[in-house]
Amino acid sequence: MIHRYWMPALVGCGVLGTAAVAMAAQQSEAERGAYLARAGDCVACHTAPEGKPFAGGLKIESPFGTIVSTNITPDPEAGIGDYSRDEFAAALREGKRADGANLYPAMPYPSYAKLTDDDIDALYAYFMQGVEPVAEKAPESDVSFPFNQRWGISLWNWMFTDADTFAPTSGQSEQVARGAYLVQGLGHCGSCHTPRGVLFQEKALDDSDDAYLTGETLEGWWAPNLRGGGGDDNGGRGLQNWSADDIVAYLATGRNDHSAVTGEMTSVVANSTLHLGDEDLHAMAAYLKSLPRAADGDKKTGSETTPEQTEKMLTAADVEGKPGARLYLDNCNACHFANGQGAPQVFPSLVDNELVNADDPTGLVHVILAGARLPSTPGKPEALAMPDFGWRLSDEEAAQLAAFVRGAWGNHGGKVTADQVAEVRKALPEDRQSSKPDFVD
Amino acid sequence: MSSELKNASRRGFIKGSLMMIPAVTVGGGVSLTAAAAEPPANLDDYQPTFFDADEWRFILAACDRLIPSDGEGPGALETNVPIFIDQQMEGKFGHAADWYMKGPFHPGVSPLFGYQSPLAPREVYRKGIAATGRYCQDNHGKGFAALDVDTQTQILTQLEKGEIEFDDVSSGQFFAFLLQNTKEGYFADPIHGGNKHMASWKFIGFPGARASYLEWVEQHNKAYPLGPVSLTGERG
Amino acid sequence: MAKTNPHVDVVLIGLGWTNSIMGMEMTDEGLSVLALERGPDQDTVPDFAYPKMADELTYGVRYQLMQRPAKNTLTVRHGVRDLAVPYRSLGSFLPGNGVGGAGTHWNGHTWRPQPQELRLKSYVEETFGADTIPEEMAIQDFGVSYDELEPHFDFFEKVAGIAGKAGNLNGEIQEGGNPFEGWRSDEYPMPPMKRTLNDTLFRDMATEQGLHPFPMPAANASEAYTNPYGMQLAPCNYCGFCERYGCLNYSKSSPQTCVLGALKQRKNFAYRANCEVMKVNLASDGKTATGVSYIDENGDEVIQPADLVIMGAYSLHNVHLLLLSGIGKPYDPISGEGVVGKNYAYQMNGGATLYFKDKEFNPFIGAGANAEVLNDFGVEQIDFGQAGFIGGSYFSAAMTNGQPIRNMPLPKGAPSWGAQWKQAVQETYGHTMTIGSHGSNMSYRDCYLDLDPTYTDDHGRPLMRMTFNWKDNDVRMTQFMKQKIDILSKALKPDDYKLSFKDFNSQYDVRPYQTTHNVGGAIMGTDPTSSVLNRYLQTWDVHNVFVMGASAFPQNIQYNPTGLVGGLTYWAAKAIREQYLPNPGPLVQA
Repeated sequence: MIHRYWMPALVGCGVLGTAAVAMAAQQSEAERGAYLARAGDCVACHTAPEGKPFAGGLKIESPFGTIVSTNITPDPEAGIGDYSRDEFAAALREGKRADGANLYPAMPYPSYAKLTDDDIDALYAYFMQGVEPVAEKAPESDVSFPFNQRWGISLWNWMFTDADTFAPTSGQSEQVARGAYLVQGLGHCGSCHTPRGVLFQEKALDDSDDAYLTGETLEGWWAPNLRGGGGDDNGGRGLQNWSADDIVAYLATGRNDHSAVTGEMTSVVANSTLHLGDEDLHAMAAYLKSLPRAADGDKKTGSETTPEQTEKMLTAADVEGKPGARLYLDNCNACHFANGQGAPQVFPSLVDNELVNADDPTGLVHVILAGARLPSTPGKPEALAMPDFGWRLSDEEAAQLAAFVRGAWGNHGGKVTADQVAEVRKALPEDRQSSKPDFVD
Repeated sequence: MSSELKNASRRGFIKGSLMMIPAVTVGGGVSLTAAAAEPPANLDDYQPTFFDADEWRFILAACDRLIPSDGEGPGALETNVPIFIDQQMEGKFGHAADWYMKGPFHPGVSPLFGYQSPLAPREVYRKGIAATGRYCQDNHGKGFAALDVDTQTQILTQLEKGEIEFDDVSSGQFFAFLLQNTKEGYFADPIHGGNKHMASWKFIGFPGARASYLEWVEQHNKAYPLGPVSLTGERG
Repeated sequence: MAKTNPHVDVVLIGLGWTNSIMGMEMTDEGLSVLALERGPDQDTVPDFAYPKMADELTYGVRYQLMQRPAKNTLTVRHGVRDLAVPYRSLGSFLPGNGVGGAGTHWNGHTWRPQPQELRLKSYVEETFGADTIPEEMAIQDFGVSYDELEPHFDFFEKVAGIAGKAGNLNGEIQEGGNPFEGWRSDEYPMPPMKRTLNDTLFRDMATEQGLHPFPMPAANASEAYTNPYGMQLAPCNYCGFCERYGCLNYSKSSPQTCVLGALKQRKNFAYRANCEVMKVNLASDGKTATGVSYIDENGDEVIQPADLVIMGAYSLHNVHLLLLSGIGKPYDPISGEGVVGKNYAYQMNGGATLYFKDKEFNPFIGAGANAEVLNDFGVEQIDFGQAGFIGGSYFSAAMTNGQPIRNMPLPKGAPSWGAQWKQAVQETYGHTMTIGSHGSNMSYRDCYLDLDPTYTDDHGRPLMRMTFNWKDNDVRMTQFMKQKIDILSKALKPDDYKLSFKDFNSQYDVRPYQTTHNVGGAIMGTDPTSSVLNRYLQTWDVHNVFVMGASAFPQNIQYNPTGLVGGLTYWAAKAIREQYLPNPGPLVQA
């Protein structure tokens, strides 16, 4: 729960439309800035549900109170229209408001500190010229003492941030360096995927530290280890088994041959990565693949099954006395099939799946209860969806089912209790879409 | 016209001039926290909402003749078929809500032209049960439900063949609805009130709402082994 | 007072297969396009989601996804002098409702016609002599050739993601495919579906009989697939809830799974559900359309100005709308003059049910287009002179579902209720298979559509009236097929079997489901005195109105219509884009 305030709430897909801005050589400074704003996913936090783009007002709950994102349109009163270029740069890189006050570090300025001057210029041009001004101030954050004392953040900044702009590591190819810049800087991937320390700081802001991008659990959802293991396939799970093309497909379309996006990452794909150019996505993938990975410190072993055993049992429909397996046949097999592998690009594989095998089953249980929907993307326009099963499964049944999936086909996710399911169920929004049969007769 | 179209066509679209209807709708009034099924009603305790006590006795007796409990497999009464029929009377079917029910009516045309009566099915039931009751009183001295099984069977057969004629309703149509709805209640998902505990599905080997058989397509000539599942997740 | 909307370049009437395709094609040209759909909006999740669809009563029996006769239906009679009465409850055919139309609830049999079917009249005259055609028969040529349509068939099959095996690749006959099909420029985009027991029994028997079995061309995906629009299909799981249902698994090709996700991304496209077009509005000279009038979701009348009107409603509704809008001269069966409503035709089907005591078919394991097929008795394979009829048929052994309310074939003599019925149900369920004959239906002078003089829809407009009955030519055709299927049935050595074919006493019966392949009424052709549309599906009389769909067929082909409808739609789209838009006007000079 404590990490909640780092996370944007899910913003509706396609707030600004979906056309990617081409990275043409002739594009204007403001157009280049628009593209960079996509890479930085500014819109996700700085837009309220149904609100005007960049007008702020998104409420980000935290244990200390509600942080409300600000209006960053060029309106001089309500927004940042009277910011000079240097004031704008200070906000991005150092988390300093024009009046000198500190921004709450929900703003990923520790990552944006990596931005080059050129890119700051482009972003400034975009936010001043390319964004529609909105003369409506976002509500103030409601943060209680002592967290409302913004000066305290200075100390935090001094301890955990680093104002140096990005510099490539020696020997990095141009592509990997570009990828590193995007991942560490605008992409601020570490905000979710790097473990946090006791003061909620990211343990590393770049790959100079082995902890960088090794995964973190946020509100019960596992944000996986993104380190690709130097490109070697050493039999682990997750990104190190994905090719660079798999990573690109995932970021561009929310789906690939192995998996499909769920949870907060759905918004990241919809608002940010699907808008990025192919070259940049390949650069990010190349960088992630290049990161060395410890000899699978996070890989658990000791699964009681093999893929073949589970597939054989489900294919024979031999589930007498195995309630989890029976529930799988009655609810999941239609799309994910007896081999658990679903279908490439359409239905995610459950075998070795990060969400399925996470230490905390919250994400898996959430998807079982509430379903999930992929964003419609230019490359893959179909907003494929999994229906919700919360109306059909009791807490006990959902726990049996989730535990089965976490232990089948060589998976090693561990047990799930009905109480855990009940917790997840309680937190589901009431107005979510449901496919429960609704009979008029 | 021609140049107008050409110019208009090539001017591109005006952003925002067209309002998109969202691709998805959120269903209203759906309980999102209730899991699984409510247990099916007990036929003996059930209070019909459409049928009165006399009519209900007819429905129970007639259903018991159409799908009796004799022999293998459940009958209409064990599977709550009468409850299904009672609920159908109150729904769209009973009211003919989806049907074209404007006049003029020509009930005398050939049956090839389908339903041509001004009566909604619930009215056919009401009139049909009453007329059958009068026929039984007049010819056998008792109501239908009080007759012996063979006589009941004989009367239903006469209705089916149109051998008994009523003044205000087609006996054949009345029987056709009764038989159709009885089979529906027997085989439909339990969510509709009949097919209690999926007993008819277990009887014939239909897996119900499982709808997932990729691995079984090529397992030829081998009876599918797993019991049914219902819409609400009841397992049998 | 009706309100007037801002002008759009193109208004599409209906949003099923044809107008989803037209939406893509017209937005490709940069035109602003608005689709008006009479029924509700619907998509895979939540509307067709698992397990909601697996409900035979709601969808299979009560027709939840079909149009409600209460709102709009038609009247039916057998002959021009008879009284027509309303089709009050659905039976014989099931027009789809809502976004996706019939494309959501079909089975997915996706055929191209045989080349000669598109020039049937010329073919018969050239091959068998003009006197082979009975006097009352009204068959015509489509006015477009197979070779012209081939690239469009091919593209539609790629968009819809058809699973099958080619039998004729650029003229070379292929093992395992249909040797009697027209040439194909490419293989099907997906391999055939898996084979069920009935498929293999039928295939082996037919091969032994010297016939040429092949798998049904299926719009049910056999593997994961991405189409040219980037839309995706998932492998079919043979759920057994296909026809009358939306696909719960993204496996059945439909506007939803194959087009609409891509179309909805386009900023120059919009659609409005629950908006029913009342009529096409014409300019004062009657030569061009100015747009349409419709009733919106609040029941208010709206005028929608547009430069181009494309009708893509269900075939019967296209004809109804033409009649109500005064486009084209209504057909008069007595004088033979007029064109709108002319040549309504249906489909002549029959079949056998075979009972095998010891075979387990698991009938609930099925898909809409899962079938093994024979085309040995097709239109191009039969000597009409010798056989004494014009037409043909394909045979299929299909296993689509085991839904027990409707799919409960019982042996001859089994009672329909009582203890013995129950016993027969137990003994028979799961032990039967079928062989179907799906045959052509010719058009006739007195089979047509016009406006009913008495009955009205819920907006007070006259209902359409269908005048139709079976004719001897087509009964002779189906009786010919009956003999063949009798032989094939016996060869399978069932414990029992029964045949069901129309005979010379058969009259059209609206009660049992037969097929939703209602064709004709707005037919295409080469001459404005005998057709409503020219070869580009453009109305002869009002050049900015185009009419898609099977209403354009001058008689019915022996196959399910969707493949031809899809090919014709892309053909018409190409003509609009390449010929009409640069120079709007009649594309064929009358």
